[in-house]
Amino acid sequence: MNTVSVNENPFGRKLVLACLLPILLVNIVAFMVPVLNLAAMSFRAASSTGSLEEGITVSTWLGLFGDGYYWSMVGRTVWFGILITIITLLLSYPLALFVSRREGSLKAFLVVVCISPLLISAVVRTYGWMVILGDQGVLPSLIRASGFTPPRLINNETGVIIGMVEILMPYMILSLLSGFGKLDATLEQAAGTLGARPFTVFRRVVLPLSLPGILLGCLLCFVLAVSSFITPKMLAGGRVSLLATEIYDQAIVTLNWPLAACLSVLILVVFGAALVLYGRLSKIVE
Amino acid sequence: MYLKVDSLEKRYGAFDPSVSNLSFSLAQGELLGLLGPSGCGKTTTLRMISGMVAATSGRILVGGHDVTGLPTYRRNMGVMFQSYALFPHMTVAENVAFGLEMRKHSKHEIAKRVESALAMVRLNGVGDRKPRQLSGGQQQRVALARALVFEPDILLLDEPLSNLDAKLRDDMRNEIREIQQRLRMTTIFVTHDQTEAMAICDRIVVMNKGRLEQIGTPHEIYETPATPMVADFVGRINRLKGTWRSDGAIDINGSMTIRASRPGARGAPVLVMVRPHRIGLVASGSAIPSAEHENVLAGTIRQVTYIGDTLQYSVEAAGARILVEKATTSAGDPFQSGAEVLLHWSEQDTLTFAADGER
Repeated sequence: MNTVSVNENPFGRKLVLACLLPILLVNIVAFMVPVLNLAAMSFRAASSTGSLEEGITVSTWLGLFGDGYYWSMVGRTVWFGILITIITLLLSYPLALFVSRREGSLKAFLVVVCISPLLISAVVRTYGWMVILGDQGVLPSLIRASGFTPPRLINNETGVIIGMVEILMPYMILSLLSGFGKLDATLEQAAGTLGARPFTVFRRVVLPLSLPGILLGCLLCFVLAVSSFITPKMLAGGRVSLLATEIYDQAIVTLNWPLAACLSVLILVVFGAALVLYGRLSKIVE
Repeated sequence: MYLKVDSLEKRYGAFDPSVSNLSFSLAQGELLGLLGPSGCGKTTTLRMISGMVAATSGRILVGGHDVTGLPTYRRNMGVMFQSYALFPHMTVAENVAFGLEMRKHSKHEIAKRVESALAMVRLNGVGDRKPRQLSGGQQQRVALARALVFEPDILLLDEPLSNLDAKLRDDMRNEIREIQQRLRMTTIFVTHDQTEAMAICDRIVVMNKGRLEQIGTPHEIYETPATPMVADFVGRINRLKGTWRSDGAIDINGSMTIRASRPGARGAPVLVMVRPHRIGLVASGSAIPSAEHENVLAGTIRQVTYIGDTLQYSVEAAGARILVEKATTSAGDPFQSGAEVLLHWSEQDTLTFAADGER
């Protein structure tokens, strides 16, 4: 982190504080308070009508810990997050590398093309995937037309993974591109002159130098994959329960806000773990 | 000849070729300079020799073997890049070891050779540091060690000194020459700086607009430049336009007569060039030593510029401005602006070029 030097200007420190104050207030009011509120709510109990009962209790937490259903859901959510992140990385990396090696207006154009899906809401894009992957959709029809039996591509885990990967690719590509800063064609040429074959150049030079971008992209995609609920809900057809969809169901359908709050805290813990891992790995990469 | 470059050409699309019809060769252990202004094709040539850029046509032979079609990694040439191109994620020792690892040497052998390579460039004890923790000069040495450690057939240096400050540049230049001679390493040195090239190269190839202008020793390049471009590029020079007379002298503006050692065809236009420091300067009316083979010209000093080691006089003579350089002495300027003087220089120092077709 760079620190702003404020010693040279006597008004500097006050000015910096004054500039930071609004965002600090917004963060406190709009972020810290709700999160603390959420944490507090996880220590309440809900009546069957959905209203909160008086008094503080750890019964929701105890129920959660005692129920293997939730543990397997946490495991599945993390596993899905990792799987989706890895597939997104594998598909995005060659693309990002290709784009980063173009120059000038072509490069700018390709970057815009790569991130243009972000201009369309994830809901709309997910509907698109429903049209393509649905039982009577484009892809299964094509497979049937060529004489094969199409596998189920929607209302199951496959559908969720396909949809999520496509939704997350722009984020991954952007992160990778921003992390390719240290990558320099001259370094690859230098490795070549030292006797490294193209694959060795990739393994020993390109890959290590793009690790910061890979880590950043993976963190971002993992967090987004774990927290997204619209796409999994629409493409899973209620057959794949993940933490985020479960929170939605508990809060909106079952009206069990304390349980939803507990699960939210759980998801925060998962994010915290991911952040710690990211920090550790970044240090090693440096 | 150890390295032979034969009618090499590089074209990008429909543009004029970056390099065309380029041929030269190097003996084993020779240091050859590729000298020219930016954009003259010298770096492209280096890249073709190293395999980083494919030649459009022509051949490159090393020790009699045609390497034109070989990929970079099979050419066994050490390259030192202008930006050094050290791997930022590896330590200095890992950088130097890279070429040896690619050649599958044993760990023990690699460690030994990395150590001696770093000692050769006087960088003992920095092996564990990252390149960014070193100064520019030190990074330079690492790059040199990395390019030499695997005993390449040929060493290619691409503007290796241009990122260093002036003082360091001279030291590094001499150090490169010393190491090159000690290892008897066949080397090509690309530069746009004629002093650098003259100081350390056995021979120099002067390039311009993708073509070879002249190849020769520094002495030949400086004393008998083949073209006005070469004469101009390797040092300051006066240019005068004239016409050959029937008696072998040159007429300039009808008011000045100059003799050269090699006369040309009568009536043909001629470009005369004289180096500023080869022109003698005496006060008007003085006797000129060995006047027989001297060109003598009367003029008036219009401007005197003192730059420490030399004095530059701008002299108006026969309607032209002629630059004269003299080494300074502690006694101070012998001539002031406005002084009437005689300029004189020998026929041997008078360079003549056919004026048509040259720039």
